[in-house]
Amino acid sequence: MEMLTLSHVAKSFGSKQVLRDVSFSVPEHTVFGFVGQNGAGKTTAMKLILGLLDADGGEISVNGRPVRYGNTPTNQYVGYLPDVPEFYDYMTPEEYLCFCGEIAGMPKGERKSRSRELLRLVGLEQDNRRIKGFSRGMKQRLGIAQALFCRPRLLICDEPTSALDPVGRRELLDILVNVKEQTTVLFSTHILSDVEHICDEIAFLHEGNIVLQGPLEKVRRKRRDTGVELELARTEEVKFLLSEFPFLELSGSNRILLKEAKKLPDVLRLIADRNLAILRLERQEAALEDLFLEVVGK
Amino acid sequence: MRAFLKKEWMEWVRTGRFFLVLLIFALFGIMNPAIAKLTPWMMEALSDSLAKTGIVTTEVTVDAFTSWTQFYKNIPMGAIVFVLLGSGIFPQEYQKGTLIPVVTRGLSRKKIAAAKSLMLLFIWTLSYLLCFGITYGYNAYFWDNGIAKSLFFAGFACWLFGIWLVALLVFFSAVSANSPQALLGTGGIVAACYLLGMIPRVSRYLPTKLLEGMPLLQGISEPGDYSACLAAALGMSLVCLGLAAVCFERRRL
Ligand SMILES: Nc1ncnc2c1ncn2[C@@H]1O[C@H](COP(=O)(O)OP(=O)(O)OP(=O)(O)O)[C@@H](O)[C@H]1O
Ligand SMILES: [Mg+2]
Repeated sequence: MEMLTLSHVAKSFGSKQVLRDVSFSVPEHTVFGFVGQNGAGKTTAMKLILGLLDADGGEISVNGRPVRYGNTPTNQYVGYLPDVPEFYDYMTPEEYLCFCGEIAGMPKGERKSRSRELLRLVGLEQDNRRIKGFSRGMKQRLGIAQALFCRPRLLICDEPTSALDPVGRRELLDILVNVKEQTTVLFSTHILSDVEHICDEIAFLHEGNIVLQGPLEKVRRKRRDTGVELELARTEEVKFLLSEFPFLELSGSNRILLKEAKKLPDVLRLIADRNLAILRLERQEAALEDLFLEVVGK
Repeated sequence: MRAFLKKEWMEWVRTGRFFLVLLIFALFGIMNPAIAKLTPWMMEALSDSLAKTGIVTTEVTVDAFTSWTQFYKNIPMGAIVFVLLGSGIFPQEYQKGTLIPVVTRGLSRKKIAAAKSLMLLFIWTLSYLLCFGITYGYNAYFWDNGIAKSLFFAGFACWLFGIWLVALLVFFSAVSANSPQALLGTGGIVAACYLLGMIPRVSRYLPTKLLEGMPLLQGISEPGDYSACLAAALGMSLVCLGLAAVCFERRRL
């Protein structure tokens, strides 16, 4: 079943069209990565899903129910971690979590135990002072605890790892993977290696449209025949190959790049015939980063 | 809503604003009779030097009226402090985005606005009672409150002025992006009422008239003379609170 569906969503601020025609859907129990440049509109899209902004057009539904601007009932299924989480400075983390639970109508005993459990999960159980002195990373940890507090069906995280140290990032990614059993995760990020590690599906947002979308494997496969790199021992043999096959490119000293993988057998045949000395033959890894650069046209 | 009220209460107490406002109103409450008590003594101390310049001071008599006059002079000051401390209730949350987790957790915006208004009403009432009570107590101890007519009606009118102020504050605070804007809006309306009050025919309909307690105490005016401004203040308060709820409902957080 689809946990979240956006169809033909558009949004502009004044004359600036941020989202043109955004459609995608997130199946239940997946980790969905949402990628795009700075200012692509990721945060805007998330705020639309939460009913914090009014869409100009299109429809959004969460768990099969439509999202309305203002007080949307669909928010009962959603946990949200904002890009720069802010809390009431004068509360302690535990008080803040209990406050969140009380708003959501959780009974008192459960609030206490749940807030302890989550503070332990995000590694803040030692910091029972007021939030005022917290660093950005600590606030982000508290933010994730707050978002998970009411066991949401859909967890929306806006750049959850942006302020975290390497260990914290690893831990957070583990948390996201672990909660996949109970919830569905939608998160935005700039760190493509995070996406490669934990996402089941991804969507690229560019110039207001979803330009690329699907299961991670499928998206990657699009670039499977990206190319092969050859490294030879002798420079004159490199020159010889280049003159024989004009479609080859020099990519470094004694290194040749073959862009069209289907021509590989021809090249290899010649190498075998002439008994050329190759040091290395490598299929280039289809990195998301290349894909990203290709998508944004740079 | 109870959770949010508790949070508001915690905010007022832990940021120290609650005790600050109580302290200031208590100080005003003590100052009113104290100044009255000290007036004759000061006059005496000054009379020698005044006599040299040719001004002859006569024996001044102080009574409860002197102290109540001080009270009605000081209440506007207290109100200003109160408005200053309360102007951030919405803008601070807008600027930090702290209402977003609350709203996305399903607490209706009406309840948020109601909780904030209730808290302001409660704090105004408490601090006003404190100031009024202290002045009343000292006056009864030093002099006699019995000479003042309609004392409690005048006190009620003045309290209602505060309620009107709270309603204005809630409205302007809910629609403003920052506290100075909220202050400007609230201050602007009050100043406009003061200016309009210069026109005799209009003045009896203005909520600012509620602050004029002395004529009531001296028996120059009757409670009945205040019915128009009472009604105006109540009506305006309801309109302001209603508008605040509507605007807050539509506001981008
Ligand atoms: N309230 C607003 N008023 C006007 N323009 C806005 C507003 N919010 C966002 N924008 C504009 O919308 C565009 C998209 O912003 P958004 O915050 O959604 O980007 P993003 O993808 O989250 O970027 P980042 O990766 O930097 O977080 C930006 O050009 C921004 O200037
Ligand atoms: Mg963003």
